Amino acid sequence: MSYGPVSRLAVQLNRLRLANPILVASGTFGYAREMAAYIDFRQLGGVIPKTVTPLPRLGNPPPRTVETPSGMLNSIGLDNDGLDAFIEKHLPYLLSLGTAVIVNIAGKDEDEFVAMAKRLDEFEELSALELNVSCPNVTGGVDYGTDPAKTEAVVRAVRDTCELPIIAKLTPNVANVPEIAAAAAAGGADAVSLINTVQGMAVDWRRRRPVLGNGIGGLSGPAIKPVALRIVWQVAKAVKIPIIGVGGIQSLDDVMEFIVAGATAVQIGTANFYDPGLAGRLVAELERIVEGEGVECVADLVGTLSLPSPSCHFQDVASI
Amino acid sequence: MKLMGLISTPPGMRTDAIETTATVVEQVRMARDTYRLRLRCPDVAKRIVPGQFFMVRPSTGSDPLLGRPFALYDVFEENGALAGIDFGYLVVGKLTSEMSRWQPGDMVRIWGPLGNGFPTPPPGRLIMVGGGIGQTPFLAVSREASGARRYGRPARTISANAERLTLLYGVRSREYLAGLDDFRRDGLTIRLSTDDGSEGHHGYVTELLDEEIASDPPAAVYCCGPEPMMHAVSERCERACVPCWLSLESPMACGFGACFSCVVKVKTGDGWDYRRSCVEGPVFRADELVL
Ligand SMILES: Cc1cc2nc3c(=O)[nH]c(=O)nc-3n(C[C@H](O)[C@H](O)[C@H](O)COP(=O)(O)OP(=O)(O)OC[C@H]3O[C@@H](n4cnc5c(N)ncnc54)[C@H](O)[C@@H]3O)c2cc1C
Ligand SMILES: Cc1cc2nc3c(=O)[nH]c(=O)nc-3n(C[C@H](O)[C@H](O)[C@H](O)COP(=O)(O)O)c2cc1C
Ligand code: FES
Repeated sequence: MSYGPVSRLAVQLNRLRLANPILVASGTFGYAREMAAYIDFRQLGGVIPKTVTPLPRLGNPPPRTVETPSGMLNSIGLDNDGLDAFIEKHLPYLLSLGTAVIVNIAGKDEDEFVAMAKRLDEFEELSALELNVSCPNVTGGVDYGTDPAKTEAVVRAVRDTCELPIIAKLTPNVANVPEIAAAAAAGGADAVSLINTVQGMAVDWRRRRPVLGNGIGGLSGPAIKPVALRIVWQVAKAVKIPIIGVGGIQSLDDVMEFIVAGATAVQIGTANFYDPGLAGRLVAELERIVEGEGVECVADLVGTLSLPSPSCHFQDVASI
Repeated sequence: MKLMGLISTPPGMRTDAIETTATVVEQVRMARDTYRLRLRCPDVAKRIVPGQFFMVRPSTGSDPLLGRPFALYDVFEENGALAGIDFGYLVVGKLTSEMSRWQPGDMVRIWGPLGNGFPTPPPGRLIMVGGGIGQTPFLAVSREASGARRYGRPARTISANAERLTLLYGVRSREYLAGLDDFRRDGLTIRLSTDDGSEGHHGYVTELLDEEIASDPPAAVYCCGPEPMMHAVSERCERACVPCWLSLESPMACGFGACFSCVVKVKTGDGWDYRRSCVEGPVFRADELVL
């Protein structure tokens, strides 16, 4: 289902059409209700609620977050009430917001992903599914996102069971993200979201303890923006699949950096916590920038980054 | 498939919160490492009630990144109209150190009011127990309970009973005692304790609570302070069958329910579940919590 007027901000990610490229990232926007006092949802390209799992999950023991320089670590551990409660308590509200709703799901094996996709496929008002094959805070499940063959298999299995466009959300915690992105594309993903959080740790040395209740967690916020940009750019060069850039975005310049590096859309994550009105403002600012750049539509700016020529690059190195 | 489910707002979710830029009006030293900051933000001041909090962060920069939660100390007026809020803070880390250098005229970001706040005090005697910087929520509570001020929009109605209000306030050492003049203004009874005996009772504030419960049992106890203290207070109240409310200080990243970092263990029919302190709290009945 698509929303909003046709405009120069509209973007197409294979089967998924969005009114504009500004989405909000899973786990950083609650179930949208929490943000209602701060933002007009109809401005957004879409919302992605917190990851849903088949059954309720308690999540990890607190402390679950800690601030680090220009970023934060989290180990929430997919605390959620399960798919039934999500459909009953949250989906009606989400579908009333007047923006695209992309449901982010996580299963511990292929069967769980498929069963969830089948259930959610009944809701034709949904815009897409985002498969969380990359959560660093959960143990016990198969780590899909680090294995190209498993990533391809789970994407294909979901694609075979449901009509909804599929986004695979990938982890940066592997040596070769383009390889995993290629596998997701081969499995039939419409797009990939890059990146989930970067594994990290905070230590309270005086008490000889990790700060997070779970020991380790995922780093997010401005601190990871360079990592996310690098991965978006590498994947854009290597794989022909639309990319949704995620990681540390807190201004329109950040959005533009992701777009020229190869992202067709972006997600605002941690910034929702400290600037809950940001995502809405970015849409208006993006409209102005696209006008100023003199292009027909925002899609014309995607992947327009070019490398300095190799000779110049080598000269620089030689002159150091 | 069409959905017919209920679209409702769960308890505690603030639909009246706003995010805004506030101007620093004044910064006053209250005690050692402790300051009171006055922010001009009329829209937050009009809505907030005692025990609620708000998040504050610098208006620019990314380190510190997240907002930090602070409890309402009091609201203030300018030219007869509600103009903003005061909060008291202890310097403990990154943002509070930076905050102590904020100057009148500086612009900061604030969002709130957040959380549930204390219930309106029951008729009868109310004892407030504050440990360290945990005393800050009680100025507004006692001002409201004593009839000195009304909070919220529409203003909440409270039966005034200043003579039945007691603040038990414990700190490490006398140089940390903050805001006593503010509290004394409204005529409540104040009893102090210090760990080192430099002022008031030499020992813990819970010992004062034992005496008060024995001599004149209160209708309710409100408590805020370090975790071990809240533990001890809730145990004593349970033993004496006195209803007790705790204002928790679980670390928060957003303050409005989006991140699920502030969870605390709340009793349920068949055990317990993690609940978000920023929306279902920060004030909980002690007997609802798994402490
Ligand atoms: C509802 C609520 C109301 C509150 N009201 C008040 C109030 O009215 N007044 C008040 O003073 N405070 C209040 N607090 C507490 C206040 O929010 C914190 O003191 C504040 O967030 C500290 O921010 P900071 O940046 O100065 O400290 P931070 O730098 O964030 O550190 C906070 C504490 O955690 C420790 N810490 C942080 N990171 C690490 C790490 N990586 N390793 C080890 N230790 C770490 C620090 O040593 C420090 O003691 C309230 C809290 C809540 C939840
Ligand atoms: C507190 C928190 C919770 C998160 N929960 C989820 C989640 O449930 N599912 C998911 O796919 N990503 C989750 N993420 C990852 C974000 O969606 C995003 O990929 C990541 O934080 C990087 O973007 P950012 O730097 O803009 O936050 C979470 C991130 C944070 C900070
Ligand atoms: S602080 Fe984010 S959910 Fe409570």
